[in-house]
Amino acid sequence: MRYDDVILRWAKIATILFTAMAVVADVFGVVITRYIAYCWAEVFDLGRVIALMVVFYLGTVGGYIVLIPLYKMLSNMSKDKVFDRQNTKLMTIITASLVGIAVDCVVGGFIWNGCWILSVVALFMALVVLSIRVVFAKAITMKEEMDLTI
Amino acid sequence: MIIVNLDVMMAKRKISSGELAAKIGITQANLSILKNQKAKAVRFSTLNDICKALDCQPGDILEFRED
Repeated sequence: MRYDDVILRWAKIATILFTAMAVVADVFGVVITRYIAYCWAEVFDLGRVIALMVVFYLGTVGGYIVLIPLYKMLSNMSKDKVFDRQNTKLMTIITASLVGIAVDCVVGGFIWNGCWILSVVALFMALVVLSIRVVFAKAITMKEEMDLTI
Repeated sequence: MIIVNLDVMMAKRKISSGELAAKIGITQANLSILKNQKAKAVRFSTLNDICKALDCQPGDILEFRED
């Protein structure tokens, strides 16, 4: 097995693990958000705790929207479909979702300041994915031109 | 735009696509791309082989037309 294939395989396994973590976070969401609200944020007002819960669940939904296209993209790559328009579409979805998570975290930041950091991290990741998407789009255009050079 | 008049030249020389593709060493699919104006670029080596096979000049195959 080639080195790249090994990396792809482990990346797919990692994606599955992260998805499992998101599922666990959803199952124990109420407990986790209460813990964050009471112990970290020191928020005891029920309205704000529920708001934090909503932010948390919206964040996990965003997480799924990042992880599923990521898994699809990795699957495409393991099938040697690397410079493909489908991958750029998936990267656009990932970027949009990361921006969505960042906005969600900004809202959460008004309840617990720690969300601001998550927001910055999500925005940075969106920037990285967007940059890679641009590189892929350019590479696809070059590949198409090469394919049509006789 | 650049028009490829390969089919005209092939008709003049009475040569089929398969025959020309075999002579210049490209696939029929690629020759079809060239004939149907879908090619983005032509290598000098391919142009050289086509001119050699059809006994013509590059100007006989390529033509510039105003858009």
